[in-house]
Amino acid sequence: MKKKILLVEDEKALCLLYEEELSREGYDITAVTDAETALAKLVKTAFDLIITDIRMPGKNGIELITQIMGMRKDIPIIINSAYQSYKEDFMTWAADAYVVKSASLDELKAKIKELLGD
Amino acid sequence: MIEKYSILSPGFERDAPRELVLLSIISQSFFQPFSLEDNILVILTALTSGSGVGFNRAMLFLKDGDRLKGEMWLGPRSAEEAGMIWEVLSTPGIGYVEIVEHNRALVSKNEDTLSARLKGLIYAADDENALIPASAACRKEILLVRQASGEPLVDRRFLNVIGVEEFLCIPLLARDDVVGEIILDNAITRTPITPADVKLAGICGLMAGNYIYSATLHRKLLDMEKMAAMGEMAMFVTHQIRNPIVAIGGFTDQLLKPDVPEDKKVRNLTIIRDEIRRLEYIIFQMGHFLKVSLKEPVYFDPGPAIAAVLGSPEVQAKARGYSLNVKLEPCLPEILCDPTSFGEVLRNLLDNAFEATPAGGAVSLRGYRKNSSAFVLSVRDTGRGMTNPDKGQLFTPFFTTKEKGMGLGLPFTKRVMDTCGGKIEVQSRAGKGALFKLIFLSREREPTS
Repeated sequence: MKKKILLVEDEKALCLLYEEELSREGYDITAVTDAETALAKLVKTAFDLIITDIRMPGKNGIELITQIMGMRKDIPIIINSAYQSYKEDFMTWAADAYVVKSASLDELKAKIKELLGD
Repeated sequence: MIEKYSILSPGFERDAPRELVLLSIISQSFFQPFSLEDNILVILTALTSGSGVGFNRAMLFLKDGDRLKGEMWLGPRSAEEAGMIWEVLSTPGIGYVEIVEHNRALVSKNEDTLSARLKGLIYAADDENALIPASAACRKEILLVRQASGEPLVDRRFLNVIGVEEFLCIPLLARDDVVGEIILDNAITRTPITPADVKLAGICGLMAGNYIYSATLHRKLLDMEKMAAMGEMAMFVTHQIRNPIVAIGGFTDQLLKPDVPEDKKVRNLTIIRDEIRRLEYIIFQMGHFLKVSLKEPVYFDPGPAIAAVLGSPEVQAKARGYSLNVKLEPCLPEILCDPTSFGEVLRNLLDNAFEATPAGGAVSLRGYRKNSSAFVLSVRDTGRGMTNPDKGQLFTPFFTTKEKGMGLGLPFTKRVMDTCGGKIEVQSRAGKGALFKLIFLSREREPTS
């Protein structure tokens, strides 16, 4: 069965790109553009992994992670941000991996494989 | 009974003791929005004007790293010039601001002669065995030199430049640091320098040293603030640019794979083009914010400018679907602002209000007199409002709560309002909309015949 990934990314073009590229890798992708929708999806579906941006309108990625930790501690989380500097913020350390956005998705794909034990 | 006095008293009595006049001139000049150079000129002026200490000429060396460099030399070049200058300066009613203006012209005129000759003089600032004049600064001592040509401790090159036998060296000290040195003489009148002159010039040197020290620190602080803002900007630009670059790179990679269907090619190319346009927009906005230099504010009638902004196609397009309510007092006063920046500021505020308000909501613009010299222009929206932390950061460049915002509109508005002596006030609560008030200095229009 395909592994389920929840993608939280407010940039619509990036959402589409990640959705296509990760589906091609054999994952079942649910893409949402804000944290509130992500939390609603989490209640209904048992995801295997979450990828989230940090800077988003409304609730940001760090707030989202804090809330997820209260709900489901077992889901691995990857932070995917354009900001390198958030890596130094201890609030992001709760995530299992931190991947800075890049034109090549190789690092992100490798991290997903590692965390899902593929 | 309570009596109130103004902190500044520019019309200090001319017959007051010269110590008081001197302290008054120098301390009051530090309150003026003068530059460091102008304030140094005030100090030299106080030392050379008849109402101050009364030396004929004052020469300034400033410490630059580990060197003492000749910077400025104030005084007449000849007895004839001295006569003319002193006649101007003794005109009744002339204040220190006028004297500084006069001396600024004199210094720039002397660039070719006195100050230019002085600028060739550079000494080590920490040499225990330095010759005079540098030794006064190096050893932190006031030195009164008489019969200079017979004194082996005086630098000959300096003696050739100053051309007098008697002069006074005052080191400029702040805390434990030397910031410069002033050299005073009576080259024109040949009046001997008295112990009282030395004491007064010494006090002047202490004030000047502390002023130069704090002004230099202030400059350094401003530089550090600029650097911090640059760091913030670099971080923001990284984020803004990285997202489109990831999209462009990713969709280009897809195009380079074999057998891409035609419709996908078109879709990817469209996304790539849109992202490139976004990059262009980001660069334009950044350039606009960084380069725009504000013009001098002037009094003007804001009515036509407000009408032009409200009637512009961009604002008209954005106002569609909202209830825009405009209420301006009849016969608006003239306001103090740069008219071009004013238009931009108003458009920014209206843009923000429309973007914050859900479709169908109300946006209102009000213009009214706060009092006889202040006019308020306010923009109220009925949008999502702001939390206190968001309000605190509104004027920080690159802070934004908008999905596509650059966070430069309100910092620009603040800059415009600061430049014209106005104010911007914000009232908002989460979920309760926001009210932005621009408060301009204003004056009533002259009645037209």
